Amino acid sequence: MQEFDYLRPRNVAELKENLSQPGARILAGGTDIIPQLRRGKSAPKILVDTSGIRSLRFIEDQGDRVVIGAMTTHQEIAESQLVSDLNPALRIAAESVGSTQTRCRGTLGGNIANASPAADTLPPLLVYEASVLIQNLSGEREVPLESLVIGPGQTALEEGEFIHSISFRPLTGRWGSHFIKVGKRKGMAISVVNAAATVVLDKKGSVSKARVALGAVGPVVIRCRETESSLCGKVPDRKVFEKAGEQAREEVRPITDIRSTEEYRLHAAGVIVARVLEAAAEQARGRMG
Amino acid sequence: MKEIKVEFTLNGEKIALQSEPNRTLLDVLRQDLGLTGAKDACGGEGECGACTVIINGRPVNSCLVFIGQVEGQQVTTIEGITPQEGYHPIQKAFVEAGAVQCGYCTPGAVLATKALLDHHPRPSDQQIRAGLSGNLCRCTGYNKMLDAVHLVVKGEQND
Ligand SMILES: Cc1cc2nc3c(=O)[nH]c(=O)nc-3n(C[C@H](O)[C@H](O)[C@H](O)COP(=O)(O)OP(=O)(O)OC[C@H]3O[C@@H](n4cnc5c(N)ncnc54)[C@H](O)[C@@H]3O)c2cc1C
Ligand code: FES
Ligand code: FES
Repeated sequence: MQEFDYLRPRNVAELKENLSQPGARILAGGTDIIPQLRRGKSAPKILVDTSGIRSLRFIEDQGDRVVIGAMTTHQEIAESQLVSDLNPALRIAAESVGSTQTRCRGTLGGNIANASPAADTLPPLLVYEASVLIQNLSGEREVPLESLVIGPGQTALEEGEFIHSISFRPLTGRWGSHFIKVGKRKGMAISVVNAAATVVLDKKGSVSKARVALGAVGPVVIRCRETESSLCGKVPDRKVFEKAGEQAREEVRPITDIRSTEEYRLHAAGVIVARVLEAAAEQARGRMG
Repeated sequence: MKEIKVEFTLNGEKIALQSEPNRTLLDVLRQDLGLTGAKDACGGEGECGACTVIINGRPVNSCLVFIGQVEGQQVTTIEGITPQEGYHPIQKAFVEAGAVQCGYCTPGAVLATKALLDHHPRPSDQQIRAGLSGNLCRCTGYNKMLDAVHLVVKGEQND
């Protein structure tokens, strides 16, 4: 196991101090970073353990936004009534992460900062156009999640910066949101492809707004913007969604790796985009305006 | 690398120890404390669940917890739920249902079951499968574990 010095801040003020030292890196739930340290894939001089900071662990309805602290675990998100009511796609995604053991340790902040192309909470957050509150010793900034994750394992976080919380605006009117992942098996599987969608319907039942995000089909999780705009004004039915799935295939560049092939990913991406949109639209139809 | 001091509650008793920070809870349990119930079957990848312990009521892979992270926490291992005489009802049910063969996965599977039943005293099959999906077993084929959990719920295991 890699060697490092270990610090355990008790609050955010101490975290800022600790993290400002050169070579310092956060240890949150440890489910990504401990295997990386074991394989020698990462060599921080100092590990700053955030697992003792209670104030980074919360899910809050702040009226116009839902805010989730970076240290909130997948299990807590999966069990949250608030998340289930306001972002069902995120609840399903959190519930699909690894095993119960993984979910009870792994955090939302860690899932984002680890920046895996297959990270399951990213598509549901992207379709809600989530933003991320980033802090360091000298202040804070808020950035769209979409601009934070810039490559496989790469974020726009600078030395000394950490994710404080993630927030998104709930949808209004007749809306629905859903998440689907395809893995090698039902439980305990990393996504071969994953997708989230939101659909908002107008009074006549046509699509007034749609958002689609796909993961594991490129270097980062992406929004399929052409697919989204092609849905505007359409009366939703299976044909429309199948077309959207075909459109989405044009927008992604999957690769072949240990988990799957380019061809399979491309095919599956189209299929799950159609299904995830259909499920979101179904939910929207059932909701009074 | 500086050693660290860690204080936590282990199986109901407060303990304090010194360790290098790059050791996992699993390393310390097995090597320093002689508690060898938790096991390593996947090389510390979080894949097998043989190292499962309960921290603050939640099942956790102890191979993915650095020792410093248990500061102030409540840790329960298989040794902590096994009575002085005899066995815990979940252990009995596992034996009864034939859910123990080589036994390597058993401590982890029993603790995952305990954490599941503490949260869902009457779990559905789906909840049992989800609750045990992080515990790999080379021997039993899993259905016997499902049977074992049903036995515990029904309180049918022999005393
Ligand atoms: C068996 C297993 C199965 C898994 N299955 C899935 C799955 O199905 N889907 C999925 O998406 N993931 C899966 N994962 C990956 C992992 O569990 C998640 O990515 C998890 O959310 C990581 O969070 P963590 O708190 O454990 O992060 P850590 O491992 O503690 O940290 C990960 C990285 O993020 C950085 N970091 C953490 N928090 C912050 C912060 N607040 N600010 C800045 N940087 C930070 C750390 O420095 C580190 O680089 C799995 C992992 C395992 C071991
Ligand atoms: S040793 Fe396999 S999950 Fe911990
Ligand atoms: S009984 Fe042998 S691994 Fe489960």
